[in-house]
Amino acid sequence: MDIFLEALLNIIDPVTLIYMIIGVGAGLMAGSIPGFTIAMAIVLTLPFTFSMPPAQGLATMISVLVGGLSGGLMSGILTGIPGTPSSVATTFDGFPMARAGEPGLALGIGVWSSFCGGIISAILLVLFAPQLAMVGLEFQPWDFFMLVMFALTVTASLAGEHLVKGLIAGAAGLFIRTVGEDDAVGVGRFDFGSDYLLTGFDFIAVLIGLFAFSQLLSDLRNPVTARNALSDRKQVRVKIEHRRAIGILLKNWTVVIRSALIGMFTGILPGAGGSIANILSYDQAKKAAKDDSKFGKGDPRGIIAPEASNNAVEGGALTPLMALGIPGDITAAIMLGALLMHDIVPGPTFIKDEPALAYSIYIAFFLASFIMIGMQSGVLRVFVLVTRIKTYVLATVILTFATIGVFALHNSIEDIWTLFFFGILGFIMRQFGFPLAPMILGVVLGNIAELNLARALAIDSDPMLFFVRPWSLFFAIIAVFSMVFPIYQKHRETGSVLERFFSPLVLLCLSLPLFMMGGFLRTTLAVAAIAISSFILWRRFGSGWKA
Amino acid sequence: MSFNRDSLVALSLILASGSLMLASLEIREPDYGVLSPAAWPRLILIILGGLSVVYLLQSIRMPKKNKDDVPRKSIGEFILYWRNVIAVFSIFALYLIALPYLGMLIGNILFSFILLTVLGGWRGILMHLLVALGASGGMWLLFTFALEVFLPRGSLTGL
Repeated sequence: MDIFLEALLNIIDPVTLIYMIIGVGAGLMAGSIPGFTIAMAIVLTLPFTFSMPPAQGLATMISVLVGGLSGGLMSGILTGIPGTPSSVATTFDGFPMARAGEPGLALGIGVWSSFCGGIISAILLVLFAPQLAMVGLEFQPWDFFMLVMFALTVTASLAGEHLVKGLIAGAAGLFIRTVGEDDAVGVGRFDFGSDYLLTGFDFIAVLIGLFAFSQLLSDLRNPVTARNALSDRKQVRVKIEHRRAIGILLKNWTVVIRSALIGMFTGILPGAGGSIANILSYDQAKKAAKDDSKFGKGDPRGIIAPEASNNAVEGGALTPLMALGIPGDITAAIMLGALLMHDIVPGPTFIKDEPALAYSIYIAFFLASFIMIGMQSGVLRVFVLVTRIKTYVLATVILTFATIGVFALHNSIEDIWTLFFFGILGFIMRQFGFPLAPMILGVVLGNIAELNLARALAIDSDPMLFFVRPWSLFFAIIAVFSMVFPIYQKHRETGSVLERFFSPLVLLCLSLPLFMMGGFLRTTLAVAAIAISSFILWRRFGSGWKA
Repeated sequence: MSFNRDSLVALSLILASGSLMLASLEIREPDYGVLSPAAWPRLILIILGGLSVVYLLQSIRMPKKNKDDVPRKSIGEFILYWRNVIAVFSIFALYLIALPYLGMLIGNILFSFILLTVLGGWRGILMHLLVALGASGGMWLLFTFALEVFLPRGSLTGL
């Protein structure tokens, strides 16, 4: 109780509250402007939080995150252009509803769905993170190393057809982190005689370059659109209809809960974020509807599902971060960066060792959702003003801001060169179709992987232990299957061997480490996996090996 | 089968992996510690090199596109197409070179003003000046006085 009070006092401190309000406002704006992503907003917030106490810094970043997740719906509903990839599906029904003369109701449904999604995932975060951390206590260095590899391969596999490019990006990210002094023995690597390279690239400058700078360059590429404003609306007279929206949400509470759960689960998976969750939950809402004829024409369920799920994603993404030190998505990876900046290394003992900070994160997550509701109407007016600013003006101001922010990290001009260099690299990668998410995860997790590899080999030099220990084998199996998954997807419905055997094989293989782990629950899960796998094979055999 | 821009990228990656592998030979081997400081980067480079070979093979196996489908760009057209990106890179590089001499306040005002004018044209020059002064000056004030960050002063300007 004392710890909870300490955390509460950290967050309700007036200065922290002011930062949180500014954070939610900035997040709402960033989320609402197409082309300016939430990750970019959070990464640009990082330099500000450097001088803050950890709880205050994290609360500010969480506020930007919660604001950003909700901001995307404004432009999606009012202009038909989603502010972020997380709110693509919101436009399917939000924009038609707004055009049909109900913009206030559409916004109200969106705002309250976001709120509910956020609160549900915050509750689940509080419940699940400590449980997952308890599982994480079983992990040894071999398992952590394989967990990082799994996180990278899953993120790379999301590149679908471009799996190889995703894996290359992940490996490049791991390599970038090796430049400079080796953490274990302090030997310089790839410094080429430069003192700056010897200290290694500052990974926050790398993240801002890769993500923010390269994104701004992409926004400015076309000279015509760069000179355009997002919208030429002079003003918008919309009053958010809170009461009606809450009524509709209560009627569709199953959609809210189902979508929040989809969002939460998607968030837990490394690399899979709001961009996937919102489409997935929209699709599920449509499939579950008795009458889906109004979907795409302004059905409230078409707004509830994506907005509840995209806000729930972050609770999911923060769960493995807080419990295992492994981020669930790019924004959580940046949060990990913020923690590392304050010399806090999250892991299974994080919640136990830093309970006040863990509670501060929970409280900030809840509080930010309430602040978001309060600020939505006010920000709507500012949004209309911001959308009238020309893209090149906005991009130049943000670039200038990023430059000062990066300098402020270590008072070093070399960090701005890092920003510049990785900005160019990120832009080129975007142009050639390389996904940036695996690279960013590689940069953030590179040290953790190397450290655990060194620890594992120091305990026992036998490399086979990476494949015979239950948890490391478990992660190795999922890593391999995640790499095969894009090929499986490509061959679905073609009747290929891979299509017939993929899912039973995954279950069979996973049952092995589950058996090795022992205990009643895991053995039961292993037996269930074998039973389901056998059932699928028997059915396919019965239907002449057709899926 | 065709050799395309992906093949070029893959080849560049193979070359880079090879060069960095050679550079890893320069890493000092200490007499202590279980994992050599060169082992982890070498492992990554081997994987990176291997993936780049797969990428090269994939790119070569891609069906050759019809020449008429891919309009060839002259150097002039290329520069015109990428002019904004080239402008941002060049102005940012110049800004970084000039930063120690101009300082962050003057450097940022000049950088944002020039960039705004190059991207937006001469018509809005007054607005560009106001934005540059307001945004760069405002951020300088915020970081210097509110966040107490010591921003670099220029050796020529003293600001």
